Amino acid sequence: MAEAALAELQERVRAAAAERRPLRIRGGGTKDFYGQALAGEVLDTRSLSGIVSYEPTELVVTARAGTPLSEIEDALAARGQMLAFEPPHHGDGTTLGGVVAAGFSGPRRASAGAARDFVLGVRIVDGSGGALAFGGRVIKNVAGFDVSRLMCGALGTLGVLTEVSLKCVPRPRVETTRVIDCDAGEAIRRINEWGAKPLPISATCHYAGRLWLRLSGAAAAVQSAAGTIGGSDVGASAPWRGLRDQVHDFFRPACEGRATLWRLSVSSTAPWTDFGGDMLIEWGGALRWLIPRAPVDAAALRAWAQQHGGHATLYRGPDKSAGAFQPLSPAVLGLHQRLKAVFDPQGVLNRGRLYAGF
Amino acid sequence: MTESADDVRTRPAAGDVAALTARLRADYGERVVTSHAVREQHGHGEGLADAALPDVVVFPHGNEEVAAVVRLCSATRIPVIAFGVGTSLEGHVAALYGGVCLDLSQMNRVLEINAEDLDCRAQAGVTREQLNAELKGTGLFFPIDPGANATLGGMASTRASGTNAVRYGTMRENVLGLTVVTADGRIVRTGSRARKSSAGYDLTRLYVGAEGTLGIITEVQLRLYGIPEAISAAVCQFPDLKSAVDTVIVATQLGIPVARVELLDGVQMDACIRYSRLDGFEARPTLFFEFHGTEAGVREQAQTIQSLAADHGGSAFQWASAAEDRSRLWKARHNAYYAVLALAPGRQAFATDACVPISRLTECVLETQADVATTGLVAPIVGHVGDGNFHLVILFDPGSADERARAEALARRVSLRAIAMGGTCTGEHGIGVHKLDALVAEHGDAVSLMQTIKRALDPHDIMNPGKTVPMPGRG
Ligand SMILES: Cc1cc2nc3c(=O)[nH]c(=O)nc-3n(C[C@H](O)[C@H](O)[C@H](O)COP(=O)(O)OP(=O)(O)OC[C@H]3O[C@@H](n4cnc5c(N)ncnc54)[C@H](O)[C@@H]3O)c2cc1C
Ligand SMILES: Cc1cc2nc3c(=O)[nH]c(=O)nc-3n(C[C@H](O)[C@H](O)[C@H](O)COP(=O)(O)OP(=O)(O)OC[C@H]3O[C@@H](n4cnc5c(N)ncnc54)[C@H](O)[C@@H]3O)c2cc1C
Repeated sequence: MAEAALAELQERVRAAAAERRPLRIRGGGTKDFYGQALAGEVLDTRSLSGIVSYEPTELVVTARAGTPLSEIEDALAARGQMLAFEPPHHGDGTTLGGVVAAGFSGPRRASAGAARDFVLGVRIVDGSGGALAFGGRVIKNVAGFDVSRLMCGALGTLGVLTEVSLKCVPRPRVETTRVIDCDAGEAIRRINEWGAKPLPISATCHYAGRLWLRLSGAAAAVQSAAGTIGGSDVGASAPWRGLRDQVHDFFRPACEGRATLWRLSVSSTAPWTDFGGDMLIEWGGALRWLIPRAPVDAAALRAWAQQHGGHATLYRGPDKSAGAFQPLSPAVLGLHQRLKAVFDPQGVLNRGRLYAGF
Repeated sequence: MTESADDVRTRPAAGDVAALTARLRADYGERVVTSHAVREQHGHGEGLADAALPDVVVFPHGNEEVAAVVRLCSATRIPVIAFGVGTSLEGHVAALYGGVCLDLSQMNRVLEINAEDLDCRAQAGVTREQLNAELKGTGLFFPIDPGANATLGGMASTRASGTNAVRYGTMRENVLGLTVVTADGRIVRTGSRARKSSAGYDLTRLYVGAEGTLGIITEVQLRLYGIPEAISAAVCQFPDLKSAVDTVIVATQLGIPVARVELLDGVQMDACIRYSRLDGFEARPTLFFEFHGTEAGVREQAQTIQSLAADHGGSAFQWASAAEDRSRLWKARHNAYYAVLALAPGRQAFATDACVPISRLTECVLETQADVATTGLVAPIVGHVGDGNFHLVILFDPGSADERARAEALARRVSLRAIAMGGTCTGEHGIGVHKLDALVAEHGDAVSLMQTIKRALDPHDIMNPGKTVPMPGRG
């Protein structure tokens, strides 16, 4: 059945390529808000569903791209394991392919690594309809170019993911969240200081005058770190799940379409800066979500982000005329165009989703 | 020149090389060398050291100089081979078609250390030991430690790993961004200091591991780590290989963050005991452990592992907590290669690099040991057991064509065995020139897409030609 679904998908891509007709790859469609405007006929990946192999001893899971993320997470949880990068999702719709294509990671990102760090191998259908496999199921593999990681965050513009192998990790034995009252500047200072120490901090969040820190690991290490950090234990009211799936109150105005959400990815020590609006800080200071009160000057915001070693994404919002993603330098843009031409010479896959023109 | 990339790669015309050399001399003076000795030294790495000499060796000092040299080479399709310190093992730096060797060892400045951000930026020619020396006093370190004192550019280009990949990852996870000179001589910055790779495609990941075939890395932005508050090391010996591997499998599943765990088989242990004068050990399968963390964390990890090992028939732990004792133990591990060479003076050695799913590791190693026994060769095993990667260090007599052929055939069987078990022919050393056929066995059709990437980013096939991806119609 999976073979038939794959063959059908290849056939559709081939036919589209022959007519240079754009296709819009879709998993759960939960991320339609993200990126540039969508174009083309929908190519649904959900017929490619199911876990292909999961070997808890290996800490490796392989699943078809249309598999709901929740199905994978349930299977891992049953064996005391998880995806370390805490991929964001919402309801049951989110698919594995969508998560990897978007390259999204959740609160554990700063301590555990990003989605791409856990992708061991992929199978894709390229823009000509060819089925190809890259990487594999082992932790270390340096055979040839690292194409599987290139797929991560490419938003489906280089290939339709059909299968992904991910490294998973054991769940931490103990997990606890501390909260401290402090302003944003102080929070950035403290988390950077703690970040250089061997403390088992697995997530941080600063919002509305409070700093939350999650500690994960072995009992003794967590206990001694809790002592170092101070503050109080918040128990079940920890914000992580809401942050991860963006159902936390902070995100509500943007999710309901009443406000614009910017994602500022910067060096963790970038100073706190008031852009006039609501800000939530994650990832040890490296990720700053901004909901401006009044429309901001996108160019100025991007210049600020760049000055602090990063970039700004117009993550969600009714008006994307400023471009969803930070513009690329001409030389880098040239490399993108060449890679796009390698994988998708007819320009059928998610055309324009990442950057206008490809 | 107007030839297309599909043309068969050949050596450049002697006249073109002479003209280029004259031009380089005018621009860079004594930093352009054509003596046989220096070309010879740059024509091979370690391992099976069959040399192929570049026509000229240039020692650039900065991004602009590298870009200028590449532009000159691009104009007449002269090969450019980046060179760190030449410790790569698969013929990576051999100048198969002559051309210019760009020795980056004089680009050896650490440009910034951002202690608070836990990152740094360095020129490609900085070695890992130099970087760690310059980090002294910051409380930070860079953990990736391949067995040689390689350059950061070389390590990025081979996607190197060290003994602590399970805990800290490999170059793949720890390079945040790069400055790259592309095949048309442009200077490009990829990635950023921000934790998420920059907008757009993850070009950093494409250049990491490309073995100099897509561009020259001139600067690397790396992730750093706090030096652990407490470190302790321990050695444990096992009745057989399976018990040792099983101990590691259980520990991994429990999520015990062992920083390093290395496996030595009996033959290798024997070599190390003699070479490094280790007292109180037997020539049996042995695990070397290192634990990093807080005092409390390290104690807890070590206790858990000790009881796991005991469950699997392991000996009592031999501890080393003092820095000197630790470094003596690990030095013995790091010198494993030299210990093997010392077993048979006059012989040469080269290493295989299979990596398999850890549940197949015991099976793969046992089959491999049986295979070695049929060849009559001496080939001990060391393994980064936590990630399923092991090396067979095969000794051979360089004067005997037959013995070398048997050694190479053995190595090839190891690669194919690993691939058949769902693994890879190379976990950390790379493809270079010796593993091109294994790459095809492993990746099949995907190799043709890699070829297309190579053509797209290096249309004139000047960047380290003949390596990493077999190009049809070329040597
Ligand atoms: C109301 C709501 C709000 C959300 N808000 C956020 C948020 O603010 N931040 C956040 O991080 N997450 C958010 N999410 C979570 C989001 O669902 C996940 O991050 C996930 O990435 C989307 O997966 P999907 O399968 O639905 O992908 P889709 O939305 O279907 O696809 C995402 C992208 O990947 C491509 N793609 C999908 N499948 C493949 C494939 N097999 N091969 C190649 N390309 C493919 C698509 O073309 C598209 O470009 C939200 C979800 C909901 C429902
Ligand atoms: C005793 C010994 C032990 C070893 N142990 C390990 C180990 O544990 N793990 C491991 O991963 N490796 C190991 N190696 C292999 C070797 O050390 C690594 O491959 C190392 O990364 C090579 O670095 P180098 O500076 O010597 O690079 P070189 O050998 O000079 O070059 C390696 C390749 O990278 C290219 N290159 C070099 N610099 C650049 C640049 N700046 N830009 C673009 N391309 C470049 C070269 O063209 C070549 O293809 C070992 C080698 C020896 C001899």
